[in-house]
Amino acid sequence: MIRRLLIANRGEIAVRVARTAAEMGIEPVAVHSEADAGSFHVRRIGRAVSLGAGSPRETYLSIPRILAAARESGADAIHPGYGFLSESAELARAVEEAGIVWVGPPPAAIEQMGDKVSARRRAKRAGVPVVPGTNGAESSDQELLRKSKELGFPLLVKPSAGGGGKGMAVVENAAALPAAIEQSRRVAEAAFGDGHVYLEKLLERPRHVEFQVFGDRQGNVVHLCERECSVQRRHQKVVEETPSAALDARLRGAMGRAAAEVARGVGYVGAGTVEFLLDEKRNFYFLEMNTRLQVEHPITEETLGIDLVRAQLEVAAGEALPSSWRAGKLVPRGHAIELRLYAEDPETFLPRSGRILAWETPKGPGLRVDAGVAEGSEVGLDYDPLLAKLIAFAEDRPAAIARARRALEEWVVLGVETNHDLLRAVLASGEFESGDYSVDLVSHLPARERPKAPDAAWVAAALAFSGPAPRAGAASPAVAEPWDASTGWRAGE
Amino acid sequence: MKVTLGDETREVRIESGAAVIGDRRVEFSATGAGERIETLRVGGEPVAVRIVRDRDRVFVWCSGEAFEFRRSGARAPRPGESAGGLSAPMPGRIRRVVASEGSRVARGDVILILEAMKMEHAIRATADGVVARICHSEGDLVDAGTALAEIR
Repeated sequence: MIRRLLIANRGEIAVRVARTAAEMGIEPVAVHSEADAGSFHVRRIGRAVSLGAGSPRETYLSIPRILAAARESGADAIHPGYGFLSESAELARAVEEAGIVWVGPPPAAIEQMGDKVSARRRAKRAGVPVVPGTNGAESSDQELLRKSKELGFPLLVKPSAGGGGKGMAVVENAAALPAAIEQSRRVAEAAFGDGHVYLEKLLERPRHVEFQVFGDRQGNVVHLCERECSVQRRHQKVVEETPSAALDARLRGAMGRAAAEVARGVGYVGAGTVEFLLDEKRNFYFLEMNTRLQVEHPITEETLGIDLVRAQLEVAAGEALPSSWRAGKLVPRGHAIELRLYAEDPETFLPRSGRILAWETPKGPGLRVDAGVAEGSEVGLDYDPLLAKLIAFAEDRPAAIARARRALEEWVVLGVETNHDLLRAVLASGEFESGDYSVDLVSHLPARERPKAPDAAWVAAALAFSGPAPRAGAASPAVAEPWDASTGWRAGE
Repeated sequence: MKVTLGDETREVRIESGAAVIGDRRVEFSATGAGERIETLRVGGEPVAVRIVRDRDRVFVWCSGEAFEFRRSGARAPRPGESAGGLSAPMPGRIRRVVASEGSRVARGDVILILEAMKMEHAIRATADGVVARICHSEGDLVDAGTALAEIR
């Protein structure tokens, strides 16, 4: 039984985990860097422990500081969220040695899946196909160059450690390979402290389809259907949906069984995700396993009507998976789409900072917003630029798309540039609407011109500039919505 | 007054019951004043807007889109594209200087690599020319907007 849960993260995922904890009668405790003391997750969760001053490496990524925070708060369990230390076997081990419950898979499973080369070997052993590539035995550049000729071009250079597309490079020909290997090693060394890289054949127009898996200490492992994650930019997901238009019941069954086999092979416990590439001939290949909760987990929760964080906490406390899950009686219903709202430059996709001056999230039937910010929040460059996720759920795919479009229209975000236009463009594209798309969808979108401001926007700006200047630093929001108006129109004023 | 949105600057004037935007007159009615507009009708139609003023910037949410207006006539240079020069799009560390001073580069060539947010960002020439100056050495920490190189 868990009584007090330290959430070793920030932003939307910290808030999301705290919500389920509260529903289960578990007291959530937040952590924060000094710079984050007034941030949304701290205000929302209430009880919080400071990790002190410094960079992410010295705070959210510091194992000693996280452990000290757990001791200081009297927490009996730690949930790592995603990112930061969520896939650190070292933290998992240290937590367990300290007699605290680790809400995640066993450290050995994290290690086996954390190294992508070893994960590929594990998948092969479980009888699951992997993308053709090198097996990690080649350490020198010369050996990689030789192997590249066997694999053929184009191919991918990938760091063995890490994830999120960092350090990955597409190489079109042998001449470009040495430079790509050098860059990939350097990024991997800086980001993950491990400069090992491997080569993988680049599939033409693949889809990125992942399966949610879940295990318990009693040895049960199940899959909880797929998430279609092909809408990506810079190798990072932007829009996810479930079910995938590319899967029928037979393929779903085959991929789901393969995913569960991979997890079973490493004695997996808790929530995990097995990622596959699916080619145009509907062959699937194991890509990697994420040994944590995914950013996009809510779409699975909506279509299956479950709470994955609740299951994580129950399994961590030693309970078996719910009997309906084990009996395969969970049946997905309807369609769910997640949109990730990032603070970023709409053209270059580079992260942006600033203060959120106005923030109104969409509401209404079938909508869920998991946000990590509120009006007045400062968005810095030290952390992940994800502001919030919008999840639209409806009875079928067209209705879910229509709902997501409507919700996006309602979403007011002022003060920080976001990828709002990109999300609109994805939802408006015929390719997305058809369901027949692959990882290159974003590159097919029509050039996104800055939308032209309607007359009303110019009038509003002129009125605002004509009024008295706001007090320094106190940007005061004004709302003008016809349906909110309590006074009548004063024509001609 | 001159109001700028992106590349576009217009002369905007409020008169009784109308706004003059450039050479066009747009009828409107509003309750409230300044940025504290309560309701707004433009050309007789009610419009849902949200307005926030932050000194010389006004942010307007209108028809599902965000617009950032500036009062000063000058368009704020976008990071990385100030005339002739390259600047840092975000704070980071100079990882590698690829081009050397005096070398001829083509638009799109990598000049240097900036490491920020645990990723490497290639800073590329925005036009053909000669590298007149590299402002920093490998390992230097730079703030967003710092000049990195000059190409003539």
